Amino acid sequence: MIGFLDPALLWGLGAAALPLLVHLFFRRRPRPLAFPAFEFVLRARRQTERRLKLRKLLLFLARTLVLAAVALALARPRAERPETSAAAAAGPAATVILLDASGSMSYRLGGETLFERGRREALAALARLGNQEPVAALLCDGATPRAVAPSFDRAAARQLLSEAQPTALHADLTTCLAAAAQGLGEGRGQERLARRIVVVTDLTATAWRLEAPPPELPGPGGKPVRPEVVVVDAARGAALPNLAVTGLTAEPDAAVGPRGYRVTATVLDAGVERAGEVSLTLRAAGDARPAVRAFLDVPPGATVRKTFSHPFTAGGPAVLTAALPADPLTLDDQRSLTLRVPREVKALVVDGAPSPMKLRDEAWFVEAALTSAASPVRPTLIDAEALAGADLHAFDVVLLLNVRSVGSRAADLEAFVHGGGGLFLSMGDQIDPDEVNRELAALLPLPLHLVKTAAAPGAERGAARLARIDEAHPALAVFTGEAREGLVGARFQRYMLTRPAGRGEPPVVLAAFDDGAPALVEARRGKGRVLLYTSTVDRDWTDWPLRTSFLPAMQRFAGWLSGALDDRRDPPTVVGSPRTLHLEPGRRLAALVGPDGKSRTGRDLGVTSAATADGGADLTFTPLQPGAWQVQVEERGGARLDGALAFAAVIDPRESDTRRLDPAALTAWLGGGGSARVDGWPGGGGGGGPGVPLWSILLAVAVALFLAEAALLA
Amino acid sequence: MASPSRPLLDPEVLARLGTLKLRVRSVTEGILSGLHRSPHHGQSVEFAEHKEYAPGDDVRRIDWKAYGKFDKYYVKQFEQETNLRCHLVVDSSGSMGWKGAPGRLTKLEYGAALAASLAWLLVRQADAAGLLLCAGEVVRSIPPRASAGHLQPILEALSAAVPAGPTRLDAAIDWVVEHAPRRSAVVLISDLFDQDQRLLKQLAQLSRRGHEVTIFHLLDPAELTFPFEEPTLFLSMEDGRSVEAVGREVKQGYLGLMAAWLAGVKREAAEADLDYTLCPTDRPLDEVLLPFLARRERHAA
Repeated sequence: MIGFLDPALLWGLGAAALPLLVHLFFRRRPRPLAFPAFEFVLRARRQTERRLKLRKLLLFLARTLVLAAVALALARPRAERPETSAAAAAGPAATVILLDASGSMSYRLGGETLFERGRREALAALARLGNQEPVAALLCDGATPRAVAPSFDRAAARQLLSEAQPTALHADLTTCLAAAAQGLGEGRGQERLARRIVVVTDLTATAWRLEAPPPELPGPGGKPVRPEVVVVDAARGAALPNLAVTGLTAEPDAAVGPRGYRVTATVLDAGVERAGEVSLTLRAAGDARPAVRAFLDVPPGATVRKTFSHPFTAGGPAVLTAALPADPLTLDDQRSLTLRVPREVKALVVDGAPSPMKLRDEAWFVEAALTSAASPVRPTLIDAEALAGADLHAFDVVLLLNVRSVGSRAADLEAFVHGGGGLFLSMGDQIDPDEVNRELAALLPLPLHLVKTAAAPGAERGAARLARIDEAHPALAVFTGEAREGLVGARFQRYMLTRPAGRGEPPVVLAAFDDGAPALVEARRGKGRVLLYTSTVDRDWTDWPLRTSFLPAMQRFAGWLSGALDDRRDPPTVVGSPRTLHLEPGRRLAALVGPDGKSRTGRDLGVTSAATADGGADLTFTPLQPGAWQVQVEERGGARLDGALAFAAVIDPRESDTRRLDPAALTAWLGGGGSARVDGWPGGGGGGGPGVPLWSILLAVAVALFLAEAALLA
Repeated sequence: MASPSRPLLDPEVLARLGTLKLRVRSVTEGILSGLHRSPHHGQSVEFAEHKEYAPGDDVRRIDWKAYGKFDKYYVKQFEQETNLRCHLVVDSSGSMGWKGAPGRLTKLEYGAALAASLAWLLVRQADAAGLLLCAGEVVRSIPPRASAGHLQPILEALSAAVPAGPTRLDAAIDWVVEHAPRRSAVVLISDLFDQDQRLLKQLAQLSRRGHEVTIFHLLDPAELTFPFEEPTLFLSMEDGRSVEAVGREVKQGYLGLMAAWLAGVKREAAEADLDYTLCPTDRPLDEVLLPFLARRERHAA
């Protein structure tokens, strides 16, 4: 069936009657002329009469049809299939213009971004609408789309489109399309109008979810109908090759050093042709030169992971950035990561049974383990008597090795642990369970009970083994696979039995002997941690110190107790997602420094604040720029950048995948050529459109008729 | 078209001359100035009497036998002074009163000038000229005479001729047959828009009877070129018929019919040994008369 985009212009069809009117009312009166050769005129007239009549009729028809064709063309007719398309109804259409403002629209093509091209297309689509067609404009920019009913406020739609800016966010066009359809359905008094959605997008495949239901809106009688959807390809079918850093992670790597990391960057080539070798640089914030430069050969349409080893020279907050050479989509050419590099762990090793013979010294194996080359721990060895004068606050961890009594330092130890320090307790012959229970009651994960002798000293037979090991625990996470053998191979002839825990936070048994008795028990006390090891760290009760697993175990115990093994990788925030920053008491947000280096106040960024139980505040805001964000805090009258609060905002990797969606699949999802078409795609946009435009054909017919008329006149 | 060398013979110039007399004088003077000598010497076949020679008489007509008898010069006098009787048949039907442009002569005016000039030239060389004005019937007839005083009634009749009525030349031919028992010349001046298709056959009969028939076919240039483009209501000039036509639409057919008709007339005239001359009314009269006179001279010789 035939529909018209501007049916009001059909009145122009009246112009087709002009030739008839001219013939009837404006016919020229013939001039009378007496003529001698009248007979010849008469005979010539008779001869040509039939031909002239036919010619006149053809002329009349040609002129009438020329005017009718032009008038019809002005009304912009199109051939439509009725089907279930809401657009099948002829006449003006209520229209929603949906402009994709996602990150991929920042792609530069032909000297301008796709967003600029798309906005121009959207404004052109707006200008093409007839006066009787209500319209609404909608931005698809990652925020939850809001259904807007079309209205005749054309200026508002134009303003929204004119002032729109591209974002770095991921846009879900399927959701936006559903919102647009909902808005069309909410238009009051527009039920008789056709419904049209004009989507201006770069047609990247990741923006669409074709497994979701297509957009529908209530039609006459409640039956859902599909709106006409015109997808305007801002890229005009051009390929959009793009190289992007889509992932950046860092894992501590002891092989690299005490502050060594294994950094893995993921690079995507979203093009269809091989881009050749591309350079990837890794840079740490504050460093003048790139830390590492590598060359990658990424197959088109694939991702490649590249792993770097990077040792940090100092602990503390750090920002790593992996960067590719600039390409048309600059948003994803680099990706940042913030992490806190562990500082050196200072451990106070209290030797409860010192001996001039190193092999018999209670702390010798521990000290040897903690002072190895790759150890982040710097131990300070004292005997039990020296504990009374030690400055606990100078250390991160205190290791009490077979210490009979802490004496007056019990309270200090308790304060030390509650303040965030770590306490390691190992058993031995010096231990009096009752005394220890009494002095360290508030710290012990489990009360000590008595010593169990499973086998004779040095004997393997009957000795206990570690049976249940919590390999998921950070302190024991390294003991997987073959490394586990080094742990379970240890023999324990004697070990301290414990009593059930009292009230309060239950302890965590990291490892237990094969008889079920706890071997390693952890408990949180305040901000600190306490780890109870129920055997000895020398060879008195066990051969574990001789095992290969002892060294890493002690280092990780020290690291865990000091908090160095905590997951300090700060997961990046995807732009457009809220980020919460915790400010400790006494501190106040001064400004946020964006990736572009500009400082913005909390008010500028819409930061919200919520008080926390510790007297501090949780600040929440939504970063909209990808890159590393710095936080400037005010404390004691001064402002400084707090590296611990720095974080990275990254673009959604889906926006980096600029591979195009097949227009045929899109039109099929939208209901086929009867209700959807893709404009700007070479070859017609995959399956036609909601109606075949006929006006160009009509104009061609008019021109042909005009030429025929001229030929007849000639 | 004005002819610079013979301005007085140009039909446009003649059209500006008010009377037929002036036109005839212009024409004949122009023609005579173009002739080197008169082709007519006055011959007679029937002797009448002798006349004593006087200076100025043609020495070739001296009767030498009489000189031998009487020793005096006598010149032969013949009973008939003229050697030609010419009937000038002029069509004065309604169609002859048309002209295609304001500065042009009507066909009747052109034909009258042609006929009068011929009469003058004939009489001047002692030929007899008569006139027949003919429309639906013979309107006026003047028998052929060779006297100079005979020209006046011919000119008056031609001047007074009014174009009217249908073209019926058969009446004129019948008149010639009836009143011209001797061989004579018949000059028909007409547009030949005769409803009787047998006109040329009748003229052929005249020719077979020994008459020397000459046809001056007068047509206005507009009748030959049909310069009409706009819608026109064409009216018949000889009856009440009319037809509406757009000039440019019927032009091609008209010209085809006209060319075919002219070709047919010319062919039939040639077959009947009739002297036929097509005379567009913008054609200078000397171009019409001089070839005619030259032909006459050849025939006389």
